[in-house]
Amino acid sequence: MIVFAEVNATALVVFGIVLSVTLGITYWASKRASSAVGFYAAGRGITGFQNGLAISGDYLSAASFLGIAGLIYLYGFDGFVYSIGFLVAFLTVMFLLAERMRNSGKYTIADVLAFRLRERPARVAAAIGTLNVAAFYLIAQMVGAGVLIQALVGIDFTPIFVLNRVGFNPIELFNRAEEAGKAKGSTFSLGPGTFLKNNTDMVSLGLALVLGTAGLPHILMRFFTVPDAKAARSSVVYAMFIIGFFYLLTTIIGFGARAILGQEGVEAAGNGGNLAAPDLAEELGGGAGTTGGDLFLAIIAGVAFATILAVVAGLVLSASSAVAHDVWSSIIRKGRDSEKEEVLVAKVAALGIGAVAMLIAILGGEGLNVSFMVGLAFAIAASANFPALLLALTWPRFNTAGAVTGVLFGVVTALGLIVISPIVWGGVPGAPDTGAFTWYDLNNPGIISIPMGFLGCYLGTVLSKERGNERSFHELRVRSETGLGSERALVEH
Amino acid sequence: MAEASTESAPSGEIDWEAIERSPEFQELVRSKRSFVLPATIFFLAWYMGFILLAAYAEGFMSDRVYEGLTVGYCLALTQFLMVLVLGLMYLKRAEKVFDPLAEKAIERYAQHSGRYAAEGGHGNGDTQVGSRAATSDREVSR
Repeated sequence: MIVFAEVNATALVVFGIVLSVTLGITYWASKRASSAVGFYAAGRGITGFQNGLAISGDYLSAASFLGIAGLIYLYGFDGFVYSIGFLVAFLTVMFLLAERMRNSGKYTIADVLAFRLRERPARVAAAIGTLNVAAFYLIAQMVGAGVLIQALVGIDFTPIFVLNRVGFNPIELFNRAEEAGKAKGSTFSLGPGTFLKNNTDMVSLGLALVLGTAGLPHILMRFFTVPDAKAARSSVVYAMFIIGFFYLLTTIIGFGARAILGQEGVEAAGNGGNLAAPDLAEELGGGAGTTGGDLFLAIIAGVAFATILAVVAGLVLSASSAVAHDVWSSIIRKGRDSEKEEVLVAKVAALGIGAVAMLIAILGGEGLNVSFMVGLAFAIAASANFPALLLALTWPRFNTAGAVTGVLFGVVTALGLIVISPIVWGGVPGAPDTGAFTWYDLNNPGIISIPMGFLGCYLGTVLSKERGNERSFHELRVRSETGLGSERALVEH
Repeated sequence: MAEASTESAPSGEIDWEAIERSPEFQELVRSKRSFVLPATIFFLAWYMGFILLAAYAEGFMSDRVYEGLTVGYCLALTQFLMVLVLGLMYLKRAEKVFDPLAEKAIERYAQHSGRYAAEGGHGNGDTQVGSRAATSDREVSR
């Protein structure tokens, strides 16, 4: 129940300060990138630790912070499943892709495909994958940003009961959360099955999460910013520590919200539970209407908004470089355009992509949990980008037709299944029977679309007569395993 | 079909296939695989096992270990532990075994890598020292 009552002035001012500092730093940093390699890949001079931070910043989005806290608040254990998947996914990235990406790529993930496949179709395929993932991911971020603004401009916070604070005993937190979860109408549970009621859907989501990160263009692009494979590898480990720690905190926030806000806070937290974390902060600061409450709310909202900005920036960069670098410059203009023109196209593309994502977020996103939506982006990434990238780097026989069919199979299956999924047709996640297509009850398409992506790669490869890229495979293999001939770091100053 | 190599692959100077056939490279690939393959199988199995239990064994996952702490959360915490342990193990193994092997495999060609990147359009090969892996590794990440 959102009432645009009096504007929360304290909160807005603090929020504004946090935001201006973030934008200020960003502006300062942007002035330092002058060349193309500086713009796309930070001169490849980022250290492992810095890149670990950057990966965490790109990764820990509204989904992680607001979405997971909200899901744990509303449903308990099932929200935690998301954190586990998001974290374990980094093992996939580390073991299979991080160093190889660093050694064989340049600006975008398409470079890796184009290295040994026919350039134009390979770039188009990679751009299709990138744009679809970025679109879904962006919508989630926009929804997250939208609810935060609502929280600041004024929400009718239903009276929030001031409950006992939880001490520093996590078991006590579990106990209180469980106690509070027994309330009438509560969906909270310490065991699984309250949000992801459909067993197959849980497995489908699990697969999408663990393989999806290895297909996220904005995360993979980060490996082009470090000087070598060793830094790529260490940056993943730094990211694992930061992200793992963060998810432990999110769990505490989710349980804390359950223990302290109780069932009464559900309405204020919104349909998707996205506002549980800011609500909890406000309560802990002294409650709605108090200066302390306003301050806490503003800080947490400011921080969450800054993380959203970071992710949006990463996503828009990956999407607009796919358009400008892969489609416009390499394919339409065949390399005859100037760098100025490419940057202009990138800017126009960024504007367009942002506008489309905002529109969809406004039209349909309001009641959805942002983690759920990011789960869909992960499914597309795991189905379209991951198979093609992995096979380009490891399968000698793999060819252009395979990459194109694989990406198309992955994108089309994933998108198609999302369109007919119960949630699009008015169902809530976990209530599979409400869809218009009763024979299909999965909300996350991963379990079908990921195998389809691999199948597409395989079929396209064996059915086409295309040969002759095995020689360049030897080069790519040596290069990706040893770093010989890989892009070098710029020495600045 | 058209030759697939793009802008950055005038392969004249480096005999990639020779490197690939060399015992050093084979040793590198073999030792990497002997770590990465079992590790990947293990983590995927442990993770998907957790997911399958959460999906199909709700009762078991909701069993209490101690007060409000359930089996599900204990298993979830082992996932955190697994990520960190495997991550650090890989880091150590790579530093001790993979990196020296990779260096050995490309020793003869090390001086090429600077020039080679320059052909990509924006590298500045002249300012770089040949043994890329040896020099830049040290300054990163500590």
